[in-house]
Amino acid sequence: MAIEIVMPKLSDTMEEGKILKWLKNVGDKIEMGDIIAEVETDKADMEMEALDAGILAEIRVREGESIAVGGVIAILSEDGVGVTVGASPSKSEGVKLAVSVPPSVVEVEEKEKPIAEAPMPLPQASGVQALPIPERKVRELREPRPRRESHEATGDGERVLASPLVKRMAEEHHIDLGQVSGSGPNGRIIKQDIEAYLAKAPAQPSSTRASVGEPTPAPVVTPMVTSGGTKQTFSRMRATIAKRMADSMREVPHFYVTCEVDMSEAVRLRTALKASDRVQSDVTYTHFLIKAVAIALERHPRLNAAFAEDGRELKAEINIGIAVSLEDGLIVPVLHHCNKLSLLDIASQGNALVERARSGKPAGDDLSGGTFTISNMGMLPIEHFTAIINQPQGAILAVGAIKERPVVRNGQVVIAHTMMVTLSSDHRILDGVTSGQFLTEVKKLLENPVGLMV
Amino acid sequence: MNGKMIRGDKAYQYDLVVIGAGPGGYVAAIRAAQLGMTTVVVEKDRAGGVCLNWGCIPSKAILTSAELYEDLKEGERYGIRAQGISIDFPHVIRRSREVADRLAKGVEFLLRKNKVQLVAGTGRLDSPHRVIVDVPGKTPLQLDTAHVLIATGSKERTLPGLEVDGKQILTSYEALVDTEMPRDILIVGGGAIGCEFAYVYSAFGSRVTIVEMEKQLLPGVDTEVAQELEKAFKKKGIEVLTETKYHGIEKFPGRVEVALEYNGDIKTRTANKVLVAVGRVPLSADLGLEVVGIALNRGFIKVNEHMQTSCETVYAIGDVNGPPLLAHAASEEGIAAVEHMAGKREKGIDHLKIPACVYCQPEVAMVGLTEEQAKAKGYTVAIGKFPFMASGKAIAKGHDEGFVKLVVDKEYGEILGCHIIGHGATDLIAEIGLARTLEATTAELTGTVHAHPTLSEAIMEAALSAEGRGINF
Repeated sequence: MAIEIVMPKLSDTMEEGKILKWLKNVGDKIEMGDIIAEVETDKADMEMEALDAGILAEIRVREGESIAVGGVIAILSEDGVGVTVGASPSKSEGVKLAVSVPPSVVEVEEKEKPIAEAPMPLPQASGVQALPIPERKVRELREPRPRRESHEATGDGERVLASPLVKRMAEEHHIDLGQVSGSGPNGRIIKQDIEAYLAKAPAQPSSTRASVGEPTPAPVVTPMVTSGGTKQTFSRMRATIAKRMADSMREVPHFYVTCEVDMSEAVRLRTALKASDRVQSDVTYTHFLIKAVAIALERHPRLNAAFAEDGRELKAEINIGIAVSLEDGLIVPVLHHCNKLSLLDIASQGNALVERARSGKPAGDDLSGGTFTISNMGMLPIEHFTAIINQPQGAILAVGAIKERPVVRNGQVVIAHTMMVTLSSDHRILDGVTSGQFLTEVKKLLENPVGLMV
Repeated sequence: MNGKMIRGDKAYQYDLVVIGAGPGGYVAAIRAAQLGMTTVVVEKDRAGGVCLNWGCIPSKAILTSAELYEDLKEGERYGIRAQGISIDFPHVIRRSREVADRLAKGVEFLLRKNKVQLVAGTGRLDSPHRVIVDVPGKTPLQLDTAHVLIATGSKERTLPGLEVDGKQILTSYEALVDTEMPRDILIVGGGAIGCEFAYVYSAFGSRVTIVEMEKQLLPGVDTEVAQELEKAFKKKGIEVLTETKYHGIEKFPGRVEVALEYNGDIKTRTANKVLVAVGRVPLSADLGLEVVGIALNRGFIKVNEHMQTSCETVYAIGDVNGPPLLAHAASEEGIAAVEHMAGKREKGIDHLKIPACVYCQPEVAMVGLTEEQAKAKGYTVAIGKFPFMASGKAIAKGHDEGFVKLVVDKEYGEILGCHIIGHGATDLIAEIGLARTLEATTAELTGTVHAHPTLSEAIMEAALSAEGRGINF
C-alpha cells in the first residue's frame, strides 16, 4: 500500500518548503523516526522525520525545489510494491531516482566565494564593507537524540539509570526510582531529580494524621514538561518551604482578622530612641511588635498554643519567630522567652539573632521552639497581607507598611501614621472573638507604646 | 511529520559572531560550527588568547624548566651527581614562546577545519544583531548576526604607583617574555599567579618575597591547604608576608625599594624587580555595550545561568563575565552559551564542578565546596584526609609534602569537595571532578581499586578516612 509523504508545516507561518537535501534514496528502507530530508522553511532549515515505515518508492520533489505545505513530496510503499529503482521517470517532472549522494554523506562541500566577488546583499551602514558570506553548510548532525524524559516502572528488572548518590538517597527514603523522572544524560536520575521528587511527593502516609474515610492519594508523578521556559530545581530550603506551606494550607483551617493600628506614637518613640545616645541597638518596629505580641500572648494564652490530636496544647514559653527573607526562600529565627525581655533586650538580641540566621550561622536553638510568628513586610509598600500558619503554631501575624493615612480623632480628620495587621488563626483551636480580642490587645499596646518600655 | 530546527534565523548573514579567540571564544565557535551555525570569530591579537599566548601555556613551559633545574640541583638526594649545571634563561623563555606559537597555530587550524572564519580586527557591538570590526588602516567591516558572543577576557590589574615599565616593574605579561632573570624579586599578590611565579623564580635561584594582604596565600582556598603551601614556600627560602599591603615604591638604577605595611608598621624590601600579580580586570570597555544597553557589575558583564547578557541576543563568557577566571571555565561557559542559543541545552553551568589548579610545587588543586562552605550550607560534614607522607609512591618520588582532603556529606556520603596539595595534585583532581559529575559517593571511591603504587591511592585513602576506616594512615 502506498503512503503519501507531504510537506509538513514546520512553523506557524510556513506556507511552502524547499527540499534542501534528500537523506534517503528511492529503494531505501525507512523506519519511523528516520530523518529523511532537510527542508528549508521561511524560518530555518529543519530536519524532516518519517512518521511511517516502508520503502521509499518515489521522490516527487527534487532537491532545490519548493512545494506548498501539504503537497506530496514522496511516496512510501509499505510492501515495496511500486518501487522504481533505476527505472526512467514515469512522470515528466519531479521524480528523482537513484540519488547519487549516499545517505551517509556528512557534508556537502562548502563553496566560499573569494573576497573580490563578495556579494552585498544586506543593507549596510555607511562606511562599512561586508565580509563574503560563506554558503550555509549542509551537514548531518550527529547530536545525541534528546534524552528520555521519564522512566517506566522498574518492577520487571528494567535497569534504572541513577547516580550512586541517588540510589543511596532512594534507599534511605524508601523511594521506588521507577517513579522518578531523570534529567541527566540519557534520562539518568540525578540528585536534583530526587530532591524535586521528595519535595513534591506527599509525606509518607502516617496512620495518626490520615483523616477517616478519605482515601490516601497515590503519589502523583507529574511528567517533566519542558515546552519552553526554564525549570529551576528547588534548593533544599525551597523544597522544605514548598512542602511545609502546602501541608499547612491543606491541614489547617485558616481564618483571618485585620485591624488598623495607629503608629503615630510609636513613630515618635522610635525617633526618640534613635536620637538617644544611651540606646546602643537599632530599635525597629519589629521589636515593638515582638514586645506587644509577647505581652498580649501572656494575657491571651490560647493564642500561644498548638493543635494536638485531642486538645489544645498551651505552651509554657513565649518564643516568637520572625520571618526573614533570603534569596529564594525564608527562615524564621526564634527569639526565646520574649515575655521576659525588655524592649531594648529584644532589640539587641533580635538584631544579633537575625544577623546569625542571615549569614547562615544560626546558633543552637535559633531556628527552633517558636510558639508564634510575626511576618513584617513593612519595608515594602504593602497595605496588608495574610500569612500561612507556621505549624505547629496556632497563629501568625502579618504586618503591612506604616503609612500616613487620614484618621478620625474626636470628630476631626487628621493625618496619622497607621499600619494594617492581619492575624491568621487555626480555627481548630481559636475562634473569631478570641483572635479579635488578642489583636485588639496588640493594637492598644502599640498605640500607647510607652507601656512597652516599662 | 516532525521538525527540529537545525540552523538559525535566515534574516541574518551569520548565526554567530564571537568576539575574542581565547579558550572561551574559539571553543564556543567550534561548538557552534558543529551545531551547524555559520560562525565568525573576531580577534585583535592572536588566536588562543591570554591562556595560550600569555598565561597558562607559556608559564607551564617555563615551570617545566624550573622543575627540571630544581631536580638536577637536588640530584644528590637521589644518588645522581651532576656538575656545572647552569641556566640559559633566554633559552627558557624562547622555548616557552615556541610552545605558545605551536599551539596558537593549532587553534587557527582547528577553526579552519571547522569552517569558522577568523577575522583580524577589534569587534564592537553596533546593535543587538550587528558587530562592527575595526581593522587598522582599513574600512571597518559590518557583520549582521543572529547572536553575538563576547569572549574578550581580562588583562592584568596594576596598583596606583606600580606603573609597569617592563624592566623593573612587571606583570605576568612582561614576566613571560623578560629574558633577564631577576636576582631578587618582590611579588605583590599571593594568588595563583603570584604563587606560580614565586615558585619558578625561587627554583631558578632568585631571592623571592611574596606579599599578600589577606591572612593566607591563595585567598579563598581551603585554609589548611594554604597553610601547607606557606610552609613549603618558607622551606624553599621564599619570604611569605601575609596580611601585608603594598605601600609605596622608590626606583633606583638596578634596584627598587618597596615599602610594605603590616599591622600599621611600615617595612621596606629591596629587590631588583617587582612582579605585580594583584588580579585581573575584565576587558569590557570599547565593546559598544552601552549602545545596546548591556548591564555591568564592577566592570564584569552581567549574565544569567545561560551566559545571556541583559540583551538577549548577546552572550558573554569567560573572564569578562566574572569569576572564576579560568580557561576551562571559559570553554565550558562557551559551550553552554552556544548550546543555549541553538536550543539544545536547558541547564546552566554548575560552577561547583569546575576545578581550579595552581601550578607551583607543591601543586594545589580543588573542586567543589570547602569545608567552611559546606558547613555554611547546612551539611553535616565529614572530612577525609590522607597525607602524602603516608603514600609509598610519594615517598619513592621524593615529594611527600601535602595531602588530600575530601569534604563529604555525612548523611549520604556525597562528595562535596576536594582539596589537594602536593606533587601531581592538578592531575589527581580529575578523579574527583568525574566523581562529582557522576554523583559518586565515598562508597564508589573506596570501591574503586586504585593501582599500587600510585599517587591516586591517596584519594581512595582519603575516602576511607571520611568513612572512618582508613587503612594506611
